[in-house]
Amino acid sequence: MSSAPRTLPWGAPAAFAALALLPLAPFMSKYYLLLAFDALVFGAIAMSLDLLMGYTGLVSFGHAAFYGLGAYAAAVLLERGVLSLWACLGFALVVVGVYAFVVAYFATTRRGIYFALLTLIFAEVVYTFFRYTQTFGGSDGIQGLPEAMLLPGVPIDTPIKKYYLVLAYLIFGYVVCRLVVASHFGRVLVAIRENEDRARFLGYNVPRYKMGACMISALLTGLGGALYAIRASYATPDLMLWTESGEFIISVMIGGLGTLAGPIVGGVFFTLLRDKVSSYVDWYFIVIGLVLVAIVLFMPRGLVGLRSAFRLRT
Amino acid sequence: MSGEVVLEVDFVSRSFGALTALSKVDFTVRGGQVFSVIGPNGAGKSTLFNVISGLHAPTSGRVRFRGGDLTGLTPEAISRLGIAKTFQITNVFPKISAFENVRVAAQSRARVSGRLSSLWRSPDVEREVMELLSAFGLESRRDELAENLSHGEQRYLEICLALATDPTLLLLDEPTAGMTPGETKAATTLIRRIAGDRGLTLLLIEHDMSVVMGISDRIAVLHFGEKIAEGAPDEIRNDPAVIEAYLGGAED
Repeated sequence: MSSAPRTLPWGAPAAFAALALLPLAPFMSKYYLLLAFDALVFGAIAMSLDLLMGYTGLVSFGHAAFYGLGAYAAAVLLERGVLSLWACLGFALVVVGVYAFVVAYFATTRRGIYFALLTLIFAEVVYTFFRYTQTFGGSDGIQGLPEAMLLPGVPIDTPIKKYYLVLAYLIFGYVVCRLVVASHFGRVLVAIRENEDRARFLGYNVPRYKMGACMISALLTGLGGALYAIRASYATPDLMLWTESGEFIISVMIGGLGTLAGPIVGGVFFTLLRDKVSSYVDWYFIVIGLVLVAIVLFMPRGLVGLRSAFRLRT
Repeated sequence: MSGEVVLEVDFVSRSFGALTALSKVDFTVRGGQVFSVIGPNGAGKSTLFNVISGLHAPTSGRVRFRGGDLTGLTPEAISRLGIAKTFQITNVFPKISAFENVRVAAQSRARVSGRLSSLWRSPDVEREVMELLSAFGLESRRDELAENLSHGEQRYLEICLALATDPTLLLLDEPTAGMTPGETKAATTLIRRIAGDRGLTLLLIEHDMSVVMGISDRIAVLHFGEKIAEGAPDEIRNDPAVIEAYLGGAED
């Protein structure tokens, strides 16, 4: 167990292969491709939040700010005619990284509910700035962005290209998270989750490890935000609303805390459920709420379950 | 290093508001010694450990470890200097295996620990971990979650965690708390032997005098935060102030 080489569980490559083949399915219209994009972005972000919630024991109520800042970073560049995908992603990493560093620096000195509150407060400040000043378009945000370019002359202009872009992001994020969780660093995170004081008495600088986890999680989330702006051709302050953070948390919970794969499933499930129900009824949030309550009551370990999380397989 | 001064507790006082938990406590622990601090409940023993291990700063006085001042250092910094502590109430990582518990403790001393490279390198400490588990008879329980171990096994795991950080000085806070008399005897013998094998210096807290008499080189007695006696076990056993504290003053 412990000395075995790090291997990805075989299920993951199979699932990613299935996702890669998904656009071939006859029902995959343009609409469903974009819905699949949204679902996978949501799943990937829930997964990166799981690094904090499931492995480090920290609940962030401010992931929407990382998401929204990533989106705005990409939008600002696209708006100014910088169309390179890589420039957009790089700029999003810088912007989100600087912001996340400040948030993590202050929030990781506090535990439990105070950590959650600090992340929420920082995120609300960011939201308020984008929503109520005209610096970046106020409530309209930045609209009508041009298509980003994968390489000069290769625009990402069709739903299918966007779909494969987000799939690549999801796989990248998954591999990063798996490696982190299997690393020495990841084991210390679990130790901190299990017993923060004891970890200190073993000589671990707990705030530093928490900051590391926050940064990795925030940067992955920021990348997702940048990709969303590229897919949707806009960035609006609604992306940073605290309800968005709440939906990330819900996705982690319904998918299965501390499993990485679970929150992906949870994020996808949540996005599809919202889309389906809202196409039939206006009061869709009541239906979603009931489904979520049922999951929490009858599947307390989430859709995927705790199967292996606390065993820390390598 | 046997015989040289390892720990100096230099007139340490600690108050919590109006309550004086420790008052000018003063003693010296030498290399290789088993030094015990005993006293009735509420005598200030755990506060003393919390001061030495960095959880509380002393109100006055100093603590020195191998000549260096510990005052004001954090628990993690003190741990890194080579002082490990076990807890009176079992304090392990409940939802990971016994092996993982000890491994994360052992890896805290690896060079990559706390560095960026800990993200992709995992120090190999398996041999040390298995040696420790075997020494305490836990090798067959390695894959069991810590919370599923018996009380006695958890007490041993607690000591394994501390030893895995490769300390010079081991602080044991009532290591046999909650054990039966039979287990207590086996445990004290085992602790003494392992400390001897590893050349450790032990500072032991106990309220049960019978536990420390057999294994200690030197004993200090605390009572209401003050040191009322210090000496070899035989001296302590016959000290009238100690007898008074244990028999006469125990109920207040």
